[in-house]
Amino acid sequence: MKGLALPLAGGALLALAALALLSALQPPVAATRLEQAAALSAQLRCPDCAGLSVAESSSGSAQAIRNEVDGLLAAGQTPDQVRQHFVDRYGEWILLSPRAPIAWLLPVVLLVVAGLGLGAWLLRARRGKASPPLVAAAAELQRVRDEVEALDA
Amino acid sequence: MRVLRWLILPLLVVPLSWVLLTGFSVNPNEVPSALIGKPMPSFSLTTLDGTKLDSRALRGKPVMINFWASWCPPCVAEHSVLLDAQRRLGGRLQIVGVLYQDTAADARSFLATHGDPGYASLQDDDSRLALDFGVSGPPETYFVDAGGMVRGKQFGPLSAAALREQLARIGVSDS
Amino acid sequence: MLPSLGHVAILIGLAVSLYAAVAFVLGGRGRDAVLLATARQAMYAAFGLAFIACAAMVISLLTHDFSVAYIARNNATTTPPFYSIISLWAALEGSILFWTLLTLGWASLVLYRYRARHTALMPWVGMSLALVAVFLFSVMVWPGNPFSRITPVPLEGSGPNALLQNHPFMGLHPPLLYLGYTGLSVPFAFGIAALLTRRTDEEWLGVVRRWTIIPWIFLSLGIVAGAWWSYEVLGWGGYWAWDPVENAALLPWLTATAFIHSSMVAERRGTLKVWSMALVIATFVLTILGTFLTRSGVVQSVHSFTQSAIGPWFLGAIVLALGGSLALLLWRLPDLGDRGDPPRAVSRESAFLFNNVLFLGVTFVVLFGTLMPLIFQATGGQRISVGTPYYNGLNVPIFGALLFLMGVGPALPWGTASWRTVRERFTLPIVAAAGVLVAAVALGMRQPAPLLTLGLAGFVGTVMGDELLRGARSRARVRGEAPATALWHLATRNRRRYGGYVVHFGVLVMAIAVAISSTMARQTTVTLRPGQSATLAGYTLTHDRLVIEPLAEDARVTETRAEMTFAGPQSGTLATALRDYPNSTAAIATPAVRTALGEDLYVTLLSSDPKTGSVTVRVFVNPMVVWIWIGGAILGLGAAFAIWPDGRRIPAVLPAPEARRAEPAASVPAPVSATMEGS
Repeated sequence: MKGLALPLAGGALLALAALALLSALQPPVAATRLEQAAALSAQLRCPDCAGLSVAESSSGSAQAIRNEVDGLLAAGQTPDQVRQHFVDRYGEWILLSPRAPIAWLLPVVLLVVAGLGLGAWLLRARRGKASPPLVAAAAELQRVRDEVEALDA
Repeated sequence: MRVLRWLILPLLVVPLSWVLLTGFSVNPNEVPSALIGKPMPSFSLTTLDGTKLDSRALRGKPVMINFWASWCPPCVAEHSVLLDAQRRLGGRLQIVGVLYQDTAADARSFLATHGDPGYASLQDDDSRLALDFGVSGPPETYFVDAGGMVRGKQFGPLSAAALREQLARIGVSDS
Repeated sequence: MLPSLGHVAILIGLAVSLYAAVAFVLGGRGRDAVLLATARQAMYAAFGLAFIACAAMVISLLTHDFSVAYIARNNATTTPPFYSIISLWAALEGSILFWTLLTLGWASLVLYRYRARHTALMPWVGMSLALVAVFLFSVMVWPGNPFSRITPVPLEGSGPNALLQNHPFMGLHPPLLYLGYTGLSVPFAFGIAALLTRRTDEEWLGVVRRWTIIPWIFLSLGIVAGAWWSYEVLGWGGYWAWDPVENAALLPWLTATAFIHSSMVAERRGTLKVWSMALVIATFVLTILGTFLTRSGVVQSVHSFTQSAIGPWFLGAIVLALGGSLALLLWRLPDLGDRGDPPRAVSRESAFLFNNVLFLGVTFVVLFGTLMPLIFQATGGQRISVGTPYYNGLNVPIFGALLFLMGVGPALPWGTASWRTVRERFTLPIVAAAGVLVAAVALGMRQPAPLLTLGLAGFVGTVMGDELLRGARSRARVRGEAPATALWHLATRNRRRYGGYVVHFGVLVMAIAVAISSTMARQTTVTLRPGQSATLAGYTLTHDRLVIEPLAEDARVTETRAEMTFAGPQSGTLATALRDYPNSTAAIATPAVRTALGEDLYVTLLSSDPKTGSVTVRVFVNPMVVWIWIGGAILGLGAAFAIWPDGRRIPAVLPAPEARRAEPAASVPAPVSATMEGS
């Protein structure tokens, strides 16, 4: 049982990581026209609402845009062409997720840099002489009490 | 190093306050049109009177396209400006109304109540024309020059002053 | 008469809080106990004055005194008493008055409670809180006077914002949110006091931790209640739209949550002082920034308040608070040297630190996204939108990682962990996660986001369950208690840890509910004549009749109501309506929500035809939404449990233990989990 658990756990961890990567990197490719239309309307801003997407809103113009999206897809346009169709008329403002690369790159780069920086700090500390950590007296006592009492040893 | 640390203060405070400060000068609800400097979208729609109006028929003369609806209170507010504009400038300027998400019957009773300026209002039942112009909500007015190029957009109700300013962009003097 | 009283109360309030600020400074410098006592009393007086002003406003609202501009704009003779009372916080000026009351309430509570403790810090805590009060009173004296008069006095007011008088939740969610927001000025005040007095040891950290968690509870509940309000009132079938006003509440919550975690590391290791201080400052600045964004009219939002002259004042407050406290922090940087070493790479500490990186990552995404339209506008003039696809695209993976850490952190011991510990702790949870995943896939779930959430939930849930069981079993054996008693004693003796687990459990419940409800909801839009039916996800919805009549409690409001019968997993009747308020151009939806533990049936009326009686409705079947509210309640209860005073006193001094170099498993003061290895 012990011998089986470890590879199983490793495999599960790998699967989880792969799944995380998958969901992070690309949403599943919309297959049918209906799904494409739904995905597109979630990305288009309803012009007469405050911040809702065309998919979420039931306003008249949202309805009209949903119909137009459907019509354009039916006419054989690709999702990118449909997006551009609305950008040409409403400007970038109609897209709920900005296309400017900086909008996406800046948070990702900052997060990666911060994560790597923290990792480097922790590893450097490990390599240096590991002196016993100084701990705040009161807090330490509290912790000891907590744990001893938990055990009641 | 010590001194450099202090740089973080202006680096954080100045851009943040500048960005927030610029926010005051712009109405977040008003979106500039993507059509400015581009040809007017073409259309062929039925007017309230039941006749057909084709955009090709408007060529050669400045056009003002007003999206409106009977259910829209600011449209009532700007209606007198429109009546006045048609009366005074009707010869030099073609005004076209477009109904936005409205029924013909409601629109007719609106005109009966508030006065009929006399120019045609188009029925845009599937909102196709409103989408082509990038309308976000009535009232919105687009100004097209004699060459068929969109030169201006009024977001919200027209005042006499706003009308004068916009008309100057399409070569119509309103004095 | 009453409005004048309210206005005078505000004027005196400004004077009194100015006095308090000065007296705290002089009293603190000269160690003058009498002067400090008068400063405290001035703050209590300011609270009383804010209360008088609020009472004057509420009574004037109830008596419909339209000589006050605020009341003429936000009340009408037909407004029911309940909505008159809550109009205190339904619009700009009133909400600032209410905000002042709450801020001074917290301030008075803190000043009273610690009147004899933390004597070195308290004068400066008092000064900071008094300055916040000075700012709020000034706003009400100059740009945002809630009692400004109009002449001629209108005979009838225009009534409250239609959206805000449509649901009793409006009485619940803003006060909770404001209690959270205003309470966060307390930790800020302690931070400033610690920096000013150079007493940046552990003293301030303990107080600040507690006083961050208390407002954090209100803020959390306020955010959840706000989502619930949005779901019950706005009629679009969702509960979170990443609207600037929602983001404004989320931002300080994120940094406060990061602080609650990092402060545990700071407390235990004497390290991360600068970081903790920066988080406390950021949290406070973000509360003002949020207020600015939603009240200045610079961003487009669902319920942004009207544009007003208040914007520049709040901008000034942001610059002062951010610039001033940052300058103070930089100035005191040499005093904030760490006494301890950085934690080990594989330890509970490091899990908490990565947690902080992720929380700050979400904070940055939300802040950057909210400001991006302004940034683009300022730099290039281009207008852009930032909405759900952006926020979800970046935040969902980060939330996934946070969920993962929520399982990792508690399973790792403080200090350092051996490979054996890691293996023992994580094998079972990972197997459980895999099991949950396989089961979910077998049941037909295919979308990655809910699958991932469920897998992670299996992981985290198993870690927590394992911890609880180990502790309880051990205590039961040692003490001979019944398992349930042992569990209760274990938890009440370790409130912080087990309260934290309850909070995490609430988060877990919410995470699953959000992941499932946002990806597996089904909806349709149908037009039905009377007698016709539609089906969706096992429900049959029959349109019975269309009723158009004035509202019973306010005859000026016309209600267009579709009465329907539904059958399926739940059955019964429902009424979904559109209400036409005289002061609103658009009809306000009043969706019918039929809640069950498994799923909600949610019906919004879009339009109707009085001639044929036919209606167009949008029907949603939203799975598991109610669990979001339940999870929120669990979270609040857990946090309250964690900070509930347990009556034990902690001696001030204890020599630092020596035996900490070794593997925790071998030393006495090791975490309960580590000590029980092999047992």
